[in-house]
Parts: sequence; structure tokens; C-alpha cells
Amino acid sequence: MHIFGRFFKHVSFTFTNTMNNLLSRTQLHILVFCIFLFTGITYSQSQSHRQLGLRDNTPEVYAFTGARVVTKPGVIIDNATLVIRNGFIEAVGQNIQIPAEAWQIDLSGKTIYPGFIESYSNLGMPDAKTIAESAEKLPKDGRHWNPQVRSHFSSSLAFNYDDKKAATLRSMGFVAAHTMADAGIFRGSGSVVKLAEDVPSRMIISTDISQGLSFQRSNELERGYPTSVMGAIALLRQTFYDAQWYSQKHEALSRSGDLLTKKEINPSLGFIARAMQNSAPFLIESEDEQYVLRAANIANEFSLNLWVIGSGHEYRRSEQVKNSGVSLILPINFPDKPEVQKPEQSLNISLEDLRHWYLAPENPALLVSEGISFSLSSHGIDKPDNFLKNLRVAASRGLPKEKALEGLTVIPATKLGIDHLYGSLEKGKSAGFIITNGDIFDDETKIEEVWVAGKQHKIEDTDRTLKGKWLTSGGSIENVILAINYRNNRLQGELQNRQEETLAKLENMKFENGRFSFSIPRDTVWSGMRLSATVSDGEMLGFGETASGNLFSWKAEKQTEEPSDKEEKEPGKTAKLLDLPVLFPSMEYGIERKPEQPRTLLVQNATIWTQGADGILENADMLVRNGKIEAVGRNLTIPSGAVVIDAAGRHVTPGLIDPHLHTSIAGNVNETGDAITSETRISDVIDANNVWLYRLLAGGLTTANLFHGSANPIGGQSAVIKMRWGGLPDDLWVQDAMPGLKFALGENVKRSPGRYPNSRMGTAQIIEDSFLAALQYEKEKAASQGRRRRDAKPFRKDLQLEPILEVLQGKRLAHVHAYRQDEMLMIMRLAEKYGFTVASFEHTVEGYKIADELREHGAAAIVWTDWSSFKMEAYDAIHQNAKLLLDAGVLTSLHSDNTQLATRMNWEAGKILRSGVSEEDAMNLLTMNPARILRLDHRIGSLEPGKDGDFVIWNGHPLSAFTTADQTWIEGRKYFDKEDDQKLQQQVINERALIIQQVINSK
Amino acid sequence: MNSKYNQWIPKVMRNLTFFVLFAGILCSTSAQVPAPQQAKPILLKGATIHTQTGHTIENGMLLMENGKITEVGNNVQIPDNAIVKELDGRHIYPALIHGRNLMGLTEIGQVQVTSDFSELGNVNPNVRAETAYHSASTHIGVAAAGGIGVTVTTPTGGLISGLSAAMLTDGWTWDQMTLKAPVGLVVNWPNMLNNRNLSEQLNELQKAFDKARRYHHARNASANQPVDIRWEAMRPVFDGELPVFIQANEISQIQAAVSWAEKENIRMVLTGARDAGYIAEQLAEKNIPVMVGGVIGGPARQWEFYGEAYALPAKLHRAGVNFFIAGDMGAASAYRLPHHAAAAVAFGLPKDEAMKTITLYAAQILGLDDKMGSLEPGKDASIIITNGNPIEFSTQVEMMFLQGRQIDLNSKHRQLYDLYQIKLEQVR
Repeated sequence: MHIFGRFFKHVSFTFTNTMNNLLSRTQLHILVFCIFLFTGITYSQSQSHRQLGLRDNTPEVYAFTGARVVTKPGVIIDNATLVIRNGFIEAVGQNIQIPAEAWQIDLSGKTIYPGFIESYSNLGMPDAKTIAESAEKLPKDGRHWNPQVRSHFSSSLAFNYDDKKAATLRSMGFVAAHTMADAGIFRGSGSVVKLAEDVPSRMIISTDISQGLSFQRSNELERGYPTSVMGAIALLRQTFYDAQWYSQKHEALSRSGDLLTKKEINPSLGFIARAMQNSAPFLIESEDEQYVLRAANIANEFSLNLWVIGSGHEYRRSEQVKNSGVSLILPINFPDKPEVQKPEQSLNISLEDLRHWYLAPENPALLVSEGISFSLSSHGIDKPDNFLKNLRVAASRGLPKEKALEGLTVIPATKLGIDHLYGSLEKGKSAGFIITNGDIFDDETKIEEVWVAGKQHKIEDTDRTLKGKWLTSGGSIENVILAINYRNNRLQGELQNRQEETLAKLENMKFENGRFSFSIPRDTVWSGMRLSATVSDGEMLGFGETASGNLFSWKAEKQTEEPSDKEEKEPGKTAKLLDLPVLFPSMEYGIERKPEQPRTLLVQNATIWTQGADGILENADMLVRNGKIEAVGRNLTIPSGAVVIDAAGRHVTPGLIDPHLHTSIAGNVNETGDAITSETRISDVIDANNVWLYRLLAGGLTTANLFHGSANPIGGQSAVIKMRWGGLPDDLWVQDAMPGLKFALGENVKRSPGRYPNSRMGTAQIIEDSFLAALQYEKEKAASQGRRRRDAKPFRKDLQLEPILEVLQGKRLAHVHAYRQDEMLMIMRLAEKYGFTVASFEHTVEGYKIADELREHGAAAIVWTDWSSFKMEAYDAIHQNAKLLLDAGVLTSLHSDNTQLATRMNWEAGKILRSGVSEEDAMNLLTMNPARILRLDHRIGSLEPGKDGDFVIWNGHPLSAFTTADQTWIEGRKYFDKEDDQKLQQQVINERALIIQQVINSK
Repeated sequence: MNSKYNQWIPKVMRNLTFFVLFAGILCSTSAQVPAPQQAKPILLKGATIHTQTGHTIENGMLLMENGKITEVGNNVQIPDNAIVKELDGRHIYPALIHGRNLMGLTEIGQVQVTSDFSELGNVNPNVRAETAYHSASTHIGVAAAGGIGVTVTTPTGGLISGLSAAMLTDGWTWDQMTLKAPVGLVVNWPNMLNNRNLSEQLNELQKAFDKARRYHHARNASANQPVDIRWEAMRPVFDGELPVFIQANEISQIQAAVSWAEKENIRMVLTGARDAGYIAEQLAEKNIPVMVGGVIGGPARQWEFYGEAYALPAKLHRAGVNFFIAGDMGAASAYRLPHHAAAAVAFGLPKDEAMKTITLYAAQILGLDDKMGSLEPGKDASIIITNGNPIEFSTQVEMMFLQGRQIDLNSKHRQLYDLYQIKLEQVR
């Protein structure tokens, strides 16, 4: 395997190029097989490579004495000896016999730590652009259809040692790294490599042990599907299903001995299937804590061994992160200090960002206290110095030092399966360790050396022989003092007279390999002089040249170690720690806990809009028990212990419902990469950390149907949510609502250049074509399932066709974005041909032109009050649309399609009144009618016994232009209260001020 | 027609509606039929008259002659030839003024060829909104039906966008419909935060004003100075005749604009003014007139109060700022103007003040108060007759007079509604 790798590396740059140049398809498969065969085989003493020139048999034995050795986190041996031989540890401990042939190195006052292991890097991998360029040269056949699927890409074959990058990692204390390419949604395999040049066959510690995934496509690769996170999730899921099917199919074919059957050859799927079968780790980066949960959902669906690279936000939902069961790799990378100097600028920084700036360094500590173990990583750190700095900050904010060390040593070693060689300093393990001049968690401590496989790498020169006051003699620089010191590890010096008064600053100071050099600025007696000297204990032997070209020798003797023992440091500002409340979400208006649900709740003396048979009841009461409405009527008795709300003079309506909204969707609302994207699911990408959820509550909105955009004739699967602010995506999602699928017609779907369809005619055709495909799929599915189990044929689950089939079967609602009457008629006729009913038209701008046809078909109309003329197909929009539709008997609802609009839906309904719609009907446009359209009218939409306790208390007539919501309740829990909001506003102001002061006072 | 609908349409109007419906079906293009000059005196009686300047007059009378209001009160002498209308307790208000809109300069947002509101380049002080005003735009009638008598049609884009014009919502041609032009010179203050080209943009703006001022001096000194079409348009600014409407939303933007206008010694109206609430006292103290560019909207910042934008007018009112409210920029949404005033009421602005922000105060700040904004003798007879407070949703605008002409409140919407009711009747 390694020979292969090395050989190919010389011939060509990447695996893919190699394949293109050298291998036929058959050879490729042999190679693929080889990779599997050799996976996991690691280092051994004997070599397969040919020796060039003379053999070097110098004994490579070192004995480090007098050091404090941390053999593994928590195990410390003082004044210990460490003996290494030929790259491996031979002995460690006290009272160790030092072999005669050993180089003895005195490390008194120093500390030795096990070398760190970087769990996630792209060291030695070609960048995405290079990968894209080589991928373009390949033939398309035999590849996965999607260029973002690159699971065939082998990190061990592509590995090209890069000493500059390796040196950067070494400077942070790393001796080994897990590396994989960072291009694509399936990124190929990961391998563990050493962080130093070695003989070729020893560079890689462990080959192709993992697979990389991503929620984001790489723009460098061929553009196309997917363009959104929900599309990426769909591609991940479909590809995992395909991989399972692929291996089942191949197994079935070989079992039956049927080798002649034409079978799909797709190495990308083969690699994924093998990794799944071997429980190999799959790695994926996350953007916030919700992505950890999204990744966990995929892992659960396919029983993956998933490792998530954290974003630093995990503390915000540490309990759920723990329960997700994924392995975490935490980059020790913290946000930059926010720019707060100008007050008008600081206004634009959210409390969410301020909180995260303050809390991010506490993330590792908070996760430890939750009982989560993790690897630490330098991933994403721009300046190498920041790694140790951040590690120390994390420790100062409560990360136990032992846990920090574990996360850099034993945990990654174990996870990566290299713990027999790495992770601790024990006999037989690789000689990979760090030498420091103190406790690595002390600010002053430097990493002096890093040894990789028994080879020394110097990191930082902590030699301070120069420091002190030196009295000169001889030449043109007689009888002055050179006062030399370090400031933040940088040399600085002055020329002083015998009275220690400053004469000049020294310039261009350098101290390398024992030779010191500097110059003196122009405006002094020694103007322009350049000097250098060899420095030994207490003496400088110098040489110099004056500005006029006179050469001379000089000497200096050390007088004292002063100016000071301690290096001068920039004065550090110390800020005291803040006591921020834990908020869900961790942002403005977040709440400390889920609102209480009183067992019984009585709203009294209100004008209650039941939106049911009772109509509008004046001076009425409503009883809610355990979150459900129990009774609505006059003079209800107060149950003992009930929470009573006096709503005299106020109005109560059902919680408002918006059947068409695009808020709180992470990673793009549209998947524009294809015309038919029915496999995408809004439920995969609900973003619960969105302040608009709170603002919607403030407007009395309790339920919304979240939609994919309208760029596709068949778009994604919708998700109904309730505004359960403070919850996670799955808490918001109404999972038992009847599922829906977004269709779109008209202008938007034909706007993607070069993508079919280009006209309304083509839109009709591609939708019908999908229906035909779904029906064909249904047949195949039935055929595969209809037999006895052992005869069952491997069946390829098609995530794109499943939901379309469900629409045809009447199990899923078709919600069709449409403006013009012609396109609405088209899809109704098509639906009738295929035996289903369009559930609703979305926007339905020209609905009034075909009100009778809509009624006949049974489609609902979801409309705006007054959007018009923003595009050609909206030019015939009229303010009386809802009025005419209602008069014609069409089930009609309002919608927002716009998050801000959705915060004031009562006003939207109020505007309808002018067209002659009755008040109760207008309120139904926001309550009962959308509930019926979403098939949720058994639970929401009216205030009637048995329904959810979702209601709004308004400060006046709910359809008045002057009315706003006082309180909003969901399932008997108060999620919004105008009075509480006042307090929250003040809290937000206070907390912002507090953290901004912290920013100002921090280093 | 629906019976509820009938209740509130006076008989005259109903007949007119049927006529227009018929005409509309025949030619199916024109919406409103523009009204002729006022021929006879018209006396409105039995109305609640909301003058905006004095007391509200119960059971009052209002006389309109030759396009002007000539008398308002409880006892008005009725001229012999007057048409007398009994209003049965209905309300009279000044016609509403929409202080900033793209009316007439755009028809369909995404159809680029229907847009004329923005000229090439950063410095266009000479372009005039009224000259491109599309008098047959279908959105004009929709605004009129919502009680809006005047829209200030405003060019946009660049640093100096051009000259705005106050346009009536009824008429055959743009020159008939022009109430006043120019209303103001439109300037967009550059973004002061995170703007890489800030100094370049400030410099370009300053240079334009410096050049125009030098040109103005040269013209004053000598008639031989050749005309520069750009700087000629700015001369009224330096004479103090024409205000400069400076668009600025963010705090440092607003303060820079205010300080600049003082230095330049020009009359300034602050427009947009999103963050004006943070520095309201300063704006009041400096007596800077403000156009609030829309009240309905979300907060600009994640941490702000959910009603931050709605509450701005109340803040300005409490601080004593001289301001008015403009509605949406979009022509099709111009009719929503009263909704913006109402939203301000929902968040603390007194109702009477809210009404003035779209009538009296708008007229004063826009320089239209010699003709519009209040019900006083001598002003144009530009009024609306309603069955309630015009800023409440359920209120119907039943009649509108502009300069004494009774306006046809038909619109494309109304026509299509009527047309498709016929379709529905046919299948029943």
C-alpha cells in the first residue's frame, strides 16, 4: 500500500490524476481493494524501501534527565529520566540506568509532555481548487453523478508532506495529525500522519481510517446541486441509502453467482458502504450547536460512528449535545473581540454575539461539567500563538488541565486507534513529546522543543544569556552600558552611561546561533554604528564599524542580571468574571426555562372570539386545563388553585396561524440546484436561535407552516412549527401534522438560466414527468417488497420520489405556489388526472378569476391582503381577492410570506374589512381556515373544548389598526407577555452594557 | 353586487361605479375617469369637520368654490347655485399626503422597462420627477381610493437623486396633476459605518455642492455665465427656496448630515430617520424637520424592542421633534399610508397627532401648506369624506374632492372585482 502511494506520488500529484493516467477501471478496483486490505496496517520496524548510499547505523539513543515528566494526563514524575532509542521510548521514570551510548541531555527545570495529536486537519492535502482542477479532467463514467461526492478520494494516496504546515502544528505541540481533504460534501478518507519528515514508508501512521462529510458544498467543485444545507442533508442521506443498496446489490449478485448482470460500478458508494460496515468514523464540521443535532439525526438514521467538529457554541445546549451521542472535536478557537469603541457601532452588535464572545472560552469547561469528553483541535486558528493562549484562557475559565491534556493526547490517540503509539509517554511508544520551560498552562511557559519519532525540532529559543547589563570596553564604544531585556519574548535594549541614564535605544537587534548584532540610531554620539558579538557566559567578543567606515573590535562584561528577573510584559488588564444567566436561546429575549403550564387556567371577562359555533362571546370566560381548552362560556366557576387572568375590556382570539412563512430556516430557503428537489426537508434545517420567533409571538402568531422557496416546480417538504421560543428545532416542529410538499409555478421556476423548465409549458411537463416516475417507483417498490424475505431484491430508496408518491396517494398535502389563473388550472387538471386534490394554492393572486374552479376542485386559496405589481404575474392582484373567494365558497386563508408581516397578521386581516368581509370571517382567515388547510383543525384554529390552549389576549378589538397583543399562550404556557417584555428589554440593555464593559477591560 | 358593499356607497357613487364598470368592460384599460374643473359651489353639510388646525366642528358645513375652501363652520351662507350634499354625520378630513413614493415612476417592480425612478450616475440634481410621471398608472387610482390626494413622487439612487414633485392623484396629464414641483432636492447621505468608499462619496457630494454654489455666484454676477443644467437646478437651494431632503438612517449618518446642512447653510429635511429616536432631543433642539420613512417594519437590530420602528413617531413626538410620516416607497403600496400612522398610534402616538402627520405636518414640511393639510378657507378644496377615522382599517373613504373636483374612486382593483363577479354570477 505504501509503496503504491509513494510510487503514485512521484508520478502524479493526486490519486485522481493517477487513476486517470495509469489505471483502467479494473485496475482501479484492484487498487480500491488494496486500500481496504491494507487499511489499519501501521508502522513496523522493517522497511520495504531501497537504501540509497551508505547505511546510517549511528545509535540514536537519547537520555533526558532531571525533567518533570507528565507521562500521561494526571501522572507526573519529578526529576525523571526519559530514554528513547531509534524513535521509540525505551524507559521513563526515576532511577533509570542511562545507556552508555546515549546522548545525555540535561533538562533540569524543564517539563516533558506527551506530544499532542491534532484530530482534524488538511495537512498535506491538495486544496479544493487543485482537487477541482484534477477532477475536471476525469471522464464522467464510473463516478458518482454528483461532483460533491468524493468519498473515493484517498488521503493516504494524496498525502504530500508539507513541512511549513507541519512546523506550524509542531510549534503548538502537535506530533501527529489526522488529515483529510476539505472539498465536497463527501470529502474522502482521512489518515493519521506524523508531523515530521521521515522515510516515505513511515510518514503515514494509519491509512484511510475515516471519511469526511460536510453540510456545505465546495464552490470550487463543479457548480450545481446542492446549493443549500437542506439539499446537502438530502444528498448525504440519499448517498448513504445508495451505499447500503449498492453493497446489498453487489452481495446479492455474487451470492447468486450472477456475474453477467449489468451492475452499477460506483467506487464512491463502495467506499462509503465499507466505512459504514466497519463503523469507521465519519467527520463533519458544525456551524452551531444545532448542526451537532442535525448531524446526530443523520448518524442515528444510518448508525454512523459520527465525529462532529464543534463550533464553540455547544455550551448553549450542552445537555442535548451530550445526549446526541456524537464524538466531539473542539477547535480551541474563540471569537475576536467585538468592535465597541464607537457607541453607534456597538449598537449593531447583538447580545447573542456579545454573549458568545464572553462565553465561548467557557465552552470546554461547561461541556466537561456536563460530563462530555472531547478532543481539542487547533482547527481554524489563524495565529499559531493563539493555540496555547486560548488553551490557557479555557483553563482559566474552568477547563480542568487534565481534561485539556486528555483532549490533546489520550482521547484523540484512542479515537484514532493509535494509542499503542501515541497519547502517553510509556515504554514502547513513539518518542513524540514536548519540552517546555514550565507548566504548559502558565502564561510565561514556552514550548522549547517538540520531538517527533525521536527527532528533535526546536520551537522557541528561551536562551536568556543576553539579558542583563553589560559594560563595554575597547574600540569606539568604550565604557558604556548595554542594558538588554526581553519584552513579550522580543529583544529590546538601550545604551546607558555609567549613571544608568539612557543614551540611545538599540536597533535591529538579533541574537542567532550565539551571535548578537545591533545598530545605534543616527542622532547619538555613536550615530550609525553597527556592532556584533559572540556571547558566552558573562562575556561578549565584539566587532564593529562606525558610520564613517572605521572597523574595530570591542568587548563587554556582564555586570548584573538586571534590569529585572521577570520579563517585562504588557500590563494585563484583569477583568472579573461575569455571572450571566443561562438563556434559551442564548441571546436577547432568551428565557431561563420553559414557561410553566398551570394545571388550570381561567381567562375571565373577555370578549372571546371562539371562531367556532359560539361565535363571539362578550364578557365570557375560558378554562384551560393541562394545556387543553376545557370550556368557553359565561360565568365559569373558578377551579381551586386555578391561575386566573382578568381580561376585562380585552379580546381573546385563537393563536394566529400563518400557513406560509420562510423564517428560521438555516442554510438557504431555496435549493436551486435542481428543478425537482422534493427530497429536501425544512424539518432538517429549522433554526430555533432566531429572535423573530419571539417577535412573532409578540404579534400573536403561534403556528406557522415553514416553506421551501419557490425556485422549483417541486420544491421541498414543509414543516409546521409552533413558536415554542426557547425550544430546540424538534421542540418547535409539530411532527404529527400532515406532511406537505411545496410546488411552484409561474415566473420563479423558470428563472434559473440553463435549467429546465424555461416556460410554463415545460413546468407542466416536468411535474407530470415526476408523477410518472413516482408511479413507476411505486411499482418497483411493490415488486421488491411483495415476495418472501429471502427473495427480496435490494431496493433503492429514492428520497426524491417518495414524497411525490405520497402526494399522489393523498398522504401528503400539495401546496402550490401560483399567481396566474392559467397555471392554477393546469395543475388542478393534472391533479385530477392523477387522482389527487391540490391542498392549497399559495399566493393565489388571480384566485378571484377562477374562484368557481377552485371551489369545484376543492383547493384552498392562501392569499395576501394587498401585495401587488411587484412582478408581472402580480399585476392583476386586487384587494378584494379574499372577499370574492370567500363569497364563492373557497376555503381561504391569509399568509405573510414575510417574517415581519407575520408579526402583525391581525392588521392584515383588519385591512380586509374594507372589501366587505365580516369581522368573524376576517378572523377566520388567520385561525380556523389555515388550521383546516393544514389539517390541524382538530387541534388549533378555534377556542373550543378539546383544542390546544393556543390563544392571544389583545388590548382591544383584534382587527383594529391600533391593537396589539398583550399576551400569547401556546398549550397553556405563556410565551409572551407585554409586561414581561418591558423587563426583558431592560435586561437586554443591562447585559449588553455589562459585556461591553468586559470587552473594554479585556486584553 | 354584494349588499354590504352597497350600504356605504352613496347613490351618486354607485351610479358612477356602474358607469365606470361598463366603460371599463368596454375599453378595459382606463381605471379612474379624471374629473373636470369645479363648475359650481359645493356645500357639504351635516358633517364632523376635522380641520387639523382648530377645533373639530360637529354638524358642520364646508363650502367649496372654484377649487378652494371658502368657508368652514356651523353656519355657512349657502350660495344660490350651490350643490348641497347632506353628509348625515360623516366625517371630513383633509385629503391625505404621501410624502415620498415612486408613484408614476414605476408600474411593475420586476419589469425593468416600467421603472423610471433612478438615473445613471451619482449626481443628478437636475432630473425632475414630474416629467416622467405616468398619469395612467393603475396604482394612482388605488391610492386615491385610499384617501390619498397627493403623492410626493421622488427619484432615488446615487448621492443626489434629483427633484421630487407633489402630484395629485387625479388628472389626464402630468402637468394637470402637478401640484408643486420641485418639492425638494433629494440627497442620500453615504453610509458612515463599514463603508470603504466613504471619504470618496463624501468628497463627491461636497464637490457637487461647492461647484453648484460657485456656479450660482457666477450666474448672479453675470448673465453671460453659460448655463450648466445640473447646477442651475440647485440654485433655489442656495437661495433658501428649496429644501434638501437628506436621507439618513443611522446615528452618525444623521449627525453628519445635520452638521453638514448647517455648515452649508441650506434648509434640510431629514428623511428615513430610522435611528432618530436615539437623538430626538438634539433634532428638536436644532429644529430639524423629519420625514419618518415608514413606520411599519421590524427593528434594525437583533436586541431592539420588537416595536422599535412603530414606536419612533411617539418618541419624536415626546421630544418635540417637527416630523411627519411617509408610507411605503412602492407605488402599489402607496395606499397603505394611513396604516403607518395607525401603527404609530398602536405604539404610543396620540391619534390626533397621527392624523396630522399625514395631513397638516406633511403639508408644512413639504411646503404644501398654502394648499393642503388643513380645512381652512383659502386652501385648496382637497378633502376626503369618510365614515370614521381614516387611519382605522374598517373606515371607508366614501368621497374625495381634489381642488373642488369630485374624484372617481374607481380603480383597477374595483374593476377586476366587478368583472369577475360577473363570471361568478354566470356559473351560479
